[in-house]
Amino acid sequence: MTTMRRRAIGGLTAGVLVLSLAACGGGGDGKAEQSPEENADTTDLGMVGAMADYGVGDTFVATEPVEFSLLYRDHPNYPLNEDWLFFSSVAERNNVTFDITSAPLSDWAQRRSLLIGAGDAPSIIPVTYTPDEQPFVASGAILPVSDYLDLMPNFTDKVERWGLEPELETLRQEDGKFYLLPGLLEQLRPDYTLAMRTDVLTELGLEAPATWDEFAETLTAMKEAHPELAYVYSDRWKGDALLSFAAPAFGTSAGWGYGAGLTWDDDAGEFVYAGATEEYRELVGYFAGLVKDGLMDPESFTQEDDQAVQKLANSQSFAISTNAQELIGNRTTLTESLGAGSFELAKIRVPSGPAGDLISGSRMESGIMISADAAESENFVAMMQFVDWLYFSDEGLEFARWGVEGETFDRAADGTRVLAADVDFLGQNPEGTKNLQVDFGFFNGVFMLAHGSTNDLVQTHISEEEAGWRESMADKERTEVPPPYPFSELEREEASLYQTALTDYAKQNTLAFITGQRDLSEWDAYVAELEGQNLSAYLEVVNGAQQRYAEANG
Amino acid sequence: MVTIDPAALRERIVQTRPTVVKDTRGYTVFRVANAVVLVLVMAVMLYPFVNIVAQSFSREGYINAGQVNLVPRGFNIETYQTVMADGMFWTNYKNTVLYTTVATAIAMVLTTTFAYAIAKQHLRGRTFFIGVAVFTMFFNGGLIPNYVLINALGFTNTLWAIVLPNAISVFNLLVMKSFFENLPSELEEAAAIDGLSTYGTLLRIVLPLSKAVIATMILFYAVTFWNSWFSAFLYLDKAELFPVTVYLRNLIAGASTANSVSGAVASDESTMQIASNIKSVTMVLTVLPIICLYPFVQKYFVSGVMLGAVKG
Repeated sequence: MTTMRRRAIGGLTAGVLVLSLAACGGGGDGKAEQSPEENADTTDLGMVGAMADYGVGDTFVATEPVEFSLLYRDHPNYPLNEDWLFFSSVAERNNVTFDITSAPLSDWAQRRSLLIGAGDAPSIIPVTYTPDEQPFVASGAILPVSDYLDLMPNFTDKVERWGLEPELETLRQEDGKFYLLPGLLEQLRPDYTLAMRTDVLTELGLEAPATWDEFAETLTAMKEAHPELAYVYSDRWKGDALLSFAAPAFGTSAGWGYGAGLTWDDDAGEFVYAGATEEYRELVGYFAGLVKDGLMDPESFTQEDDQAVQKLANSQSFAISTNAQELIGNRTTLTESLGAGSFELAKIRVPSGPAGDLISGSRMESGIMISADAAESENFVAMMQFVDWLYFSDEGLEFARWGVEGETFDRAADGTRVLAADVDFLGQNPEGTKNLQVDFGFFNGVFMLAHGSTNDLVQTHISEEEAGWRESMADKERTEVPPPYPFSELEREEASLYQTALTDYAKQNTLAFITGQRDLSEWDAYVAELEGQNLSAYLEVVNGAQQRYAEANG
Repeated sequence: MVTIDPAALRERIVQTRPTVVKDTRGYTVFRVANAVVLVLVMAVMLYPFVNIVAQSFSREGYINAGQVNLVPRGFNIETYQTVMADGMFWTNYKNTVLYTTVATAIAMVLTTTFAYAIAKQHLRGRTFFIGVAVFTMFFNGGLIPNYVLINALGFTNTLWAIVLPNAISVFNLLVMKSFFENLPSELEEAAAIDGLSTYGTLLRIVLPLSKAVIATMILFYAVTFWNSWFSAFLYLDKAELFPVTVYLRNLIAGASTANSVSGAVASDESTMQIASNIKSVTMVLTVLPIICLYPFVQKYFVSGVMLGAVKG
């Protein structure tokens, strides 16, 4: 009986395996193996609906009604409504309608991979941040958009005028092409910094600190004035936000900004490992000092965000990392715990440090992928022109952000835009009964690539306070964009194995050094331990890829 | 003629009456300790739930400051109002009820009939059928092949995509199978002799005797389908088809990801309110119907799962 059963199950297993293998093979014959257009001969492309003469400053109008399929990310704060003014204006002005596949925000990334993986993806796939496009490159399911830039005059114009080529270079894959059309920012848009209790500063007769050394002095003064507090500074986001905005001033990268853990050494012309550099040591040493002097709560690096906010709310701490949105939330919390008017909390300009008054970041925002199948559509050229108009022309950007002049907004005499009398957005026009997002479909992340836009537009819809803060950050010097090092499939896998282990080790030790579990005198030992985690092998792969790419592409 | 002596009868009755035994000291101590431990366990189980309910009625600031325990602070029903004023919420709630009902019905029919058949020792190829079922517990086609299959069957954006792919849970199937195996076969033989067909036996004899396990299975299936969001997320593209779980998931995602505008001119009071308090509101709203269902099924629950656990 047992033997029989075993045999039956064995046979069954084999049978099912054969079946499933056959099924896999069948699937593989489909979309995955179709290679994308090689070197895009644009003369063969589908021209139906396309404008023969389309350039910068032109409004895209399809020569006949066209429909594009779109993967729509449904945001619960403004649920999709196909009657939105956005859709009717696009239909009227541009002769364009959408065939929408909607995916909820909560599972957007998974849904997108599923549809692309199953070969079922709509043509336009927005809300994609690099490097999310990379897993799809090898399968050929998405279009190497860099081959079709001649169809996109506004995109190329902005890249050129805003000097975005070096940043765009970093998107290129091993084949020298890029697969994502990123949202483009005219200027960096910083958001994260420290928020400080400015009422406490005023009380002590102090100014907001301009350098990291001054920040330490400020904390010391606060501690002296409030000896009853265990610490005067307790941070959130496990210190990752703090390290990430503090690192540029120390000439390195850390925290959320750590990325691949690479710093470009211009003199040597190669990448070095950030976590092993002297600059990184200095950064770690600075925060270790704050902890050692009893100024900074060592729990900053382990506690949950709620706990950090609670300490702030109960006046057990006077500083915390924040962004514009969290700042408002923190104020609400403080108002409930301390009472309105009994505190002041404000963003400070990110302090400068030993490496200078630096800021790092990318001017590329969330972008769009185009499905490879779209290139065979008869409307392909029209679609690329439309994408170019909506996401990259001044007119399209303003339309997506503000809506239709005369309906959702008006222009004042000095050229500034104001919401129409009955339209409200973010409390700018509390009289308004309709909401720009919810009722009209504008200011929609799907159609405006986060904030990839002109400075003029990015500075709209924000509070004066925030605009002032950004203004104060504007004169910071930007760190250099490192050269690209696109990996081959095999290298990517190898590098990612090394990188994960190295990053884990570096972060773990960063924490140990800062909180004092490990003494900084052991720094050299730590660097040697990094070597043991295949540091050299990792750098070899990275520098190899960088050199190969530099040689192939000048 | 037997004469009954009333006095003797009374004596017999008195004798048969249970004698009240005074509890021993040890037993009393045990009972008190038992009660204390159980009350503590109950408090531990109940606290998180009461806490969630309290948070769902509290103001954001108090929740963030960690000041909400058993009683709501800064009483607030705005989030409930916001969520419930949305027509889509009710559409999705209706979908959930529909999906759960249909899916549970289909699942029960398939599971019961399958389990009944494979519970019969004399069934030819029985091990094969059990093998087929058990195989799926360990291996499956994977996400994308599944999606391609459902798509090719034309099920995407229909009810069937939700109710069919997970119609049989193998675990539940095996529990039912062991239950049926333990039913005395004499009952079925008697039914057969009295002229009942196989289906007659199943419907009139076996199922009425299996209420415990059926109630348990209904509960298991209903809870699973009620909470499920993954198939909906995979196979549905339209918001009006989503179950309420996807709606609420999305709501939480919307509240916890960064707002679309950083540095907004003013805080949007209602949006801010939503952020942390919304999690508890959604939990309360989704769990409520299941909690209402529990008391009715609970009496079958213990006996149902235990039945078949020990083979006699």
